[in-house]
Amino acid sequence: MSIFEYNGSALVAMVGKNCFAIASDRRLGVQLQTVATDFQRVFKIHDRLYIGLSGLATDAQTMYQKLVFRHKLYQLREERDMKPQTFASLVSALLYEKRFGPFFCQPVIAGLGDNDEPFICTMDCLGAKELAKDFVVSGTASESLYGACESMYKPDMEPEELFETISQALLSSVDRDCLSGWGGYVLLVTPTEVQEKILKGRMD
Amino acid sequence: MSRRYDSRTTIFSPEGRLYQVEYAMEAIGNAGSAIGILATDGVVLVGEKKVTSKLLQTSKSTEKMYKIDDHVSCAVAGIMSDANILINTARLQAQRYAYAYQEPIPVEQLVQSLCDTKQGYTQFGGLRPFGVSFLFAGWDRSYGFQLYVSDPSGNYGGWKAAAIGANNQAAQSMLKQDYKEDMTREEAVKLALKVLSKTMDSTSLTADKLELAEICLAPSGEVKYQVCTPEALSTHLVQAGVTQPAAEV
Repeated sequence: MSIFEYNGSALVAMVGKNCFAIASDRRLGVQLQTVATDFQRVFKIHDRLYIGLSGLATDAQTMYQKLVFRHKLYQLREERDMKPQTFASLVSALLYEKRFGPFFCQPVIAGLGDNDEPFICTMDCLGAKELAKDFVVSGTASESLYGACESMYKPDMEPEELFETISQALLSSVDRDCLSGWGGYVLLVTPTEVQEKILKGRMD
Repeated sequence: MSRRYDSRTTIFSPEGRLYQVEYAMEAIGNAGSAIGILATDGVVLVGEKKVTSKLLQTSKSTEKMYKIDDHVSCAVAGIMSDANILINTARLQAQRYAYAYQEPIPVEQLVQSLCDTKQGYTQFGGLRPFGVSFLFAGWDRSYGFQLYVSDPSGNYGGWKAAAIGANNQAAQSMLKQDYKEDMTREEAVKLALKVLSKTMDSTSLTADKLELAEICLAPSGEVKYQVCTPEALSTHLVQAGVTQPAAEV
């Protein structure tokens, strides 16, 4: 049993035309037992920056609380929000600080940077960044997610089409993974608005 | 005679005074003043900007007021470099509390925590005290809107209206006369500007010599810290009867 598979998770983020979407499953389990079906894995840092944390649920929550701490201080001192690229470097540094006793979580970061340019990236539990122009995935369903995203993704999708694509990719992938699923949560961010949607999938 | 006891902050004088702490308060008496007034729907902080050279170009939006956390802000009087250290300390303390308890720090706890830091510099280490006084304004669920004053000794008190910095005694007595219970924020702004206009040295009060900030609750329940724009501040000054409106040509 791997510690990363203890709670089960699925995360995906995709880039569209001047927008991005980040989605997660909603299951929280303790190995084979499902304990919650409304578990939050995607968190807001500020209006244009979100982070999803897969892996061990307690580490995901603690990482998020540490990031809120750091971002609040940044905002107070610099009187502005953090850019996504800067935030990704911060997450990477925080994870590497625990190089020999790491947090068992893999973040997926998605945000709108300067000129409303969408930015996504993922990293492993030690902070190795992986920047991508199209999509990033993480969690126990990551292999299925890679396959689904690769086949369904097209560049420069409009928000409505991006929402459809990311939802289908997420639901079809978690159906092949027994540890993630029980519905989906999708967040679609454009320069002018943020839409949150809950997906109903196979509840098993 | 007291010279013998000045050199160390950690020593009492024979009369039972801490001279270094008192000298720190002297330093603050020469700094730009700040006034805080508690209203029913918020707290008003007004500060006097000492340096108003045209050549000044700061990146920070305010010189006298600082946000400590979403629900607590402060106005400063005294040595700015000392103030920056303490503001940073206060911000860290607020975030550490929020991290540990996943709740915003109650205002009095924050003030107490910062004052404990200040007190340490009057008792250990042989370091001089911080030459700063603060006016803390904030809101929490237990006690609603609050205003606190803290000084270099590490003492603090909760107030309905208070003044720190230059001419603070004159300002405080004016506030004592004119403060009424159940003031709204608007009335508090007028009172603060009137008192400040009488205690400030300059002959005419303009928006560029002042800073005004208000802490209030938004309809959503969120605490809002709003710094007044120079244009709105000019309007307030005219409404308070402190300046003449710009003459129409």
